[in-house]
Amino acid sequence: MKSWLRQHRYALGTTLRRLALQPFSTLTNIAVIALTLTVPLVGAALLTSLQPLTQQFSPQPQITLFLVPGLPAAEGRTTLERVQAEAEAESLEVAWVSREQAYARLRNQPAWQDALGALPDNPLPDAIIVTLQGSDAAAQAPALAQRWQQWPEVDQVQLDRQWIQRLQSLIQFAQLGLLLLAIGVAVIVLATVFNTVRMQALAQREEITVARLVGATESFVRRPFLYQGALTAGVAALLSILIAAVAVIFLNDALRALAQSYGSDFLLRLPAWPLLLGFLAVVASLGAFSARWSVTRNTRF
Amino acid sequence: MFFRSEANASPTAVGPRAFPDSASLRYHRTTMIEFRHVFKSYGRGLNALSDVNFDVAAGELLFIAGPSGAGKSTLLKLIAGLIEPSRGKIKVNGHELSRLPARARPYLRRAVGVILQDVHLLNDRSAFDNVVLPLIVTGHDTTTAHARARAAIDKVGLSSKSKLRPVELSGGDQQRLAIARAIVNRPALLIADEPTANLDDASAQRIIDVFLDFHHVGVTTLIATHDRDLITRYGKRVLYVDHGRVSSHILPPQKHVQEPQS
Repeated sequence: MKSWLRQHRYALGTTLRRLALQPFSTLTNIAVIALTLTVPLVGAALLTSLQPLTQQFSPQPQITLFLVPGLPAAEGRTTLERVQAEAEAESLEVAWVSREQAYARLRNQPAWQDALGALPDNPLPDAIIVTLQGSDAAAQAPALAQRWQQWPEVDQVQLDRQWIQRLQSLIQFAQLGLLLLAIGVAVIVLATVFNTVRMQALAQREEITVARLVGATESFVRRPFLYQGALTAGVAALLSILIAAVAVIFLNDALRALAQSYGSDFLLRLPAWPLLLGFLAVVASLGAFSARWSVTRNTRF
Repeated sequence: MFFRSEANASPTAVGPRAFPDSASLRYHRTTMIEFRHVFKSYGRGLNALSDVNFDVAAGELLFIAGPSGAGKSTLLKLIAGLIEPSRGKIKVNGHELSRLPARARPYLRRAVGVILQDVHLLNDRSAFDNVVLPLIVTGHDTTTAHARARAAIDKVGLSSKSKLRPVELSGGDQQRLAIARAIVNRPALLIADEPTANLDDASAQRIIDVFLDFHHVGVTTLIATHDRDLITRYGKRVLYVDHGRVSSHILPPQKHVQEPQS
């Protein structure tokens, strides 16, 4: 065990010595890989920040029926009863939101206070909010919304789920795009480390020959190159996290004012630390894998 | 693994005079090297060796003679497992090399001290670091490795130059450094290809003395050389290689040279 540790310590020392002997090349490689890794990392930060936005809304579709403004209260109640009657058949939940309740809720939101204050009276209609339940709720919602839109007491029907679905579709699209980008970046990391190790292996040809001559195993010969690949990729991954963190700070400065104008506190944030550590481990492993592949191919002499 | 156990060896013992446990050398058999119908060709039609057959006894000192390009270096590289025969069977200490798994070959090389014509020294590190490399490869602790490397360098008379890089040494010193690196792992088989080429007589004699010291404690030693005086001086068996054939044994073989040096 001690012998094994000694050989690893020697390999690590050899790697650090080789990297230090070519500081410009080493730093350039690390910088290229780090900047490449930063792009998907910032993309991941955007998706990580958007994800809760969709989750804070009801997962069940909601249909809001805005009644005709000035509709007498008796007709409003009749409409509510008709909807409730259908609700029993369709497993629906129905809630009545009077124009006064809606006005009070809106006034509590700072972004709307000034606008409502400028109006002479309450412009909001009475509304009925219908929440659909069941596994096929999303499928049946458009048909219900279309049917209720035909009622004369109903001024407008809004299917609240639609925009969330669009946002989720957009996020899924972005996730797929990010996955493809990550695969592309992984290929760049593999190629960069492969080529760096190839050059290093050719430069160390004499050392490898001598090591084999005196009885070095192939593991002993390969080990410094594996460390080189893992260290280069690992340090680059760490640097990319730092660059992404700084980028997110600057982007949030610009985003804060925009989000506040919509009454939102939306800000970009990097994925959680366990995920970032996983990212670091995956990139370092990718570097080691590429280095092994390269050194195995390029030391057959 | 292949030749003997080093578990009880003194860390500073490298040269034969510092080999207190040399009597404990445990060979698996009395024949160290066997060649049976060995052919080696490079490319098309260029036969470096043709149908070579010979045995080398454990502990024997053997000279390999012949003109340039006769196949001496090829013969030595085959024994060290650095190249593979095109045909035929080579056994080193009972292990048939062609049947040895690739992962086992490094362990064979650790027990064979090889000094090639091209000494293959690393110029980016000191003479000492060149000698200590085989011990790092075998996973020795730093204290033991450094002590043994110092002893090996001392044995070849390079103590005062151990901090110099090989490129700063003369040809003779580089040859001696290569010998120090070859003996530091206490090999049971020592192979040298033209170790005295381009050296003056005094330097050549010092190098031969090192090999003789190892031979006297039972290390099988093979020396390829052009030097006819050297071959005849010691009255040892000679394999004469010419045009790829081991054609004659000029001097009768002496199988067990185990007598201690006086």
